[in-house]
Amino acid sequence: MTPTLIQYLVISLLQIVAVLGFVMTLVPLLTFAERKVIGYVQVRLGATRVAGGLWGAQRGRTHQSRTITGGLNGFMWWLGKWPVISILRGLPMFIADALKLLTKEDIVPTDADKAVFVLSPALAMVAAFTVFAAISFSPGALFYFPAKFPFLGGLPFNGFLTDINVGLLFILGVASVGVYGIVLGAWASNSKYPLLGGLRSAAQIVSYEVPLTLSLLVPVVLTGSLNFNEMSTRMAADVPVNGLVGIGRSLLMFVGFFVYTTCGFAETNRTPFDLAEAENELVAGFHTEYSGMKFSFFFLSEYASMITVSALASAFFLGGHYLLPFGLQPAWNHFFQHSPYAILAWTCTPSILWFLLKIFFLLFVFLWVRATLPRYRYDQLMNVGWKFLIPYTLVMFVIAALLRYAA
Amino acid sequence: MASPRYSLLRTLIPFDIYGGMKLTGKYFGKVLRQANRGPKRTHVVVEYPEVAVTLQPRFRGRLQMIKDEQGEIKCVCCLACEKICPTQVITIEKGKKEGRKTPFPLQYDFEMERCIFCEFCVESCGFDSIILNHQFELAGYDREDFSHGMEGQFQNMFSITPVGHYSVASED
Repeated sequence: MTPTLIQYLVISLLQIVAVLGFVMTLVPLLTFAERKVIGYVQVRLGATRVAGGLWGAQRGRTHQSRTITGGLNGFMWWLGKWPVISILRGLPMFIADALKLLTKEDIVPTDADKAVFVLSPALAMVAAFTVFAAISFSPGALFYFPAKFPFLGGLPFNGFLTDINVGLLFILGVASVGVYGIVLGAWASNSKYPLLGGLRSAAQIVSYEVPLTLSLLVPVVLTGSLNFNEMSTRMAADVPVNGLVGIGRSLLMFVGFFVYTTCGFAETNRTPFDLAEAENELVAGFHTEYSGMKFSFFFLSEYASMITVSALASAFFLGGHYLLPFGLQPAWNHFFQHSPYAILAWTCTPSILWFLLKIFFLLFVFLWVRATLPRYRYDQLMNVGWKFLIPYTLVMFVIAALLRYAA
Repeated sequence: MASPRYSLLRTLIPFDIYGGMKLTGKYFGKVLRQANRGPKRTHVVVEYPEVAVTLQPRFRGRLQMIKDEQGEIKCVCCLACEKICPTQVITIEKGKKEGRKTPFPLQYDFEMERCIFCEFCVESCGFDSIILNHQFELAGYDREDFSHGMEGQFQNMFSITPVGHYSVASED
């Protein structure tokens, strides 16, 4: 059953709302997770309560006052008794964070180039969010609307927005537009710290674009496609011609995953490559002069591109919608495809669940690395990029071509 | 450890990053696995207003007079503390009490707003009748809160401070 134009538009809009909703809820949750994960790693507790007396004066102990925040604090105090779920304490903090960013005063410096100053956060954010048009969360239909559903009955609700032939190219191209937002914003601030931060960030992103793209060429060569769905499915579940090629492929994906993630850290300006925001040298880097919603646009775009990097890494290297990473799924399927146990047979089928779990794990790794590794010096950063990662990825590319030839 | 022989290998395969990630991951798991208010805490912070803080034994808090087993104040008004106090915050009014041979302090005023918590008074006391206790929540709502005296006064040195009422842990 082919949809009419109006039906197609409505379903597309619903899908866009779903994807945007997913990203927009994940970003504030990530800021909360950042507080907690870094706190736990540093043997602290992170946020455990919310401050302030919402509706009524705050008096006495924070968890016993009869206000909304007091009630929340009381619940979180109770939650603190239980081992693992006590990490959820302080969860209302993300609402407080969002409210704070929305209600803060929006300052434009007097000497700033106003048009560019306003434009650049939007540019960064649009670039970071447009990427999700080509990312596929599930290769096929997520579910079908029931037949009795008004107007949309029987139509599929896809796990992806568009199925572009050159999806990967689109993602890489649009993602690198984001650096214009950073550089233009830094320049338009008319202040020296943002300018230096923006220049650093531009040099860094331009250098790391090369190994990033080269490391993504490995799956492109191995699958012979640029379509996101096709690439992720074939990287995960292609049955290798013979054992040796399969082992080489898995090893290549294993190494490629680390190389790609390293470049991804640099692309998203995250620690240990967050030289654009080196506090001790540059105040806050390119967004020093930004405040209020404009700042939060930069903030959102950084976290959205973290999600993009995680999604690409899990799709191409960690097995995407299948359970096992590094192309090990065919071996697993060989043994368990016709298993009498339903749950074992189910692990052989693709599911959006695995993909989301891998994304969440990689986002956790982002925070984990931030809590562990110190920032690189600038020349070290460039050394790592040009002297090690690019030769590394070139060698990987040649090996991938050989494997493709052998297959 | 940092042998130059393996430096290329260590650059190509980041063992050191692996070691660091392992360490931080271990601490993350430890804190995550443990109840936050269990008897043995992994984390180093204290959830302060709700959970009581353990202080070092030598901590110098607010001045307090000590009573003996009969509930009698041990001070005999030798005025050693009053004399040695560098900021002169102690004022003692000597008096007599029925059925007590030694002198008895009618007033023992302690002006905490000028006190520097040097503990000279405690060291000079020959009868071990005063200590600096472990109260650290010494903020007051007005100036009167810093004038401490004997029992029966508005602020006395035997009760907890006005701010302290809100912070002592009780339940669980």
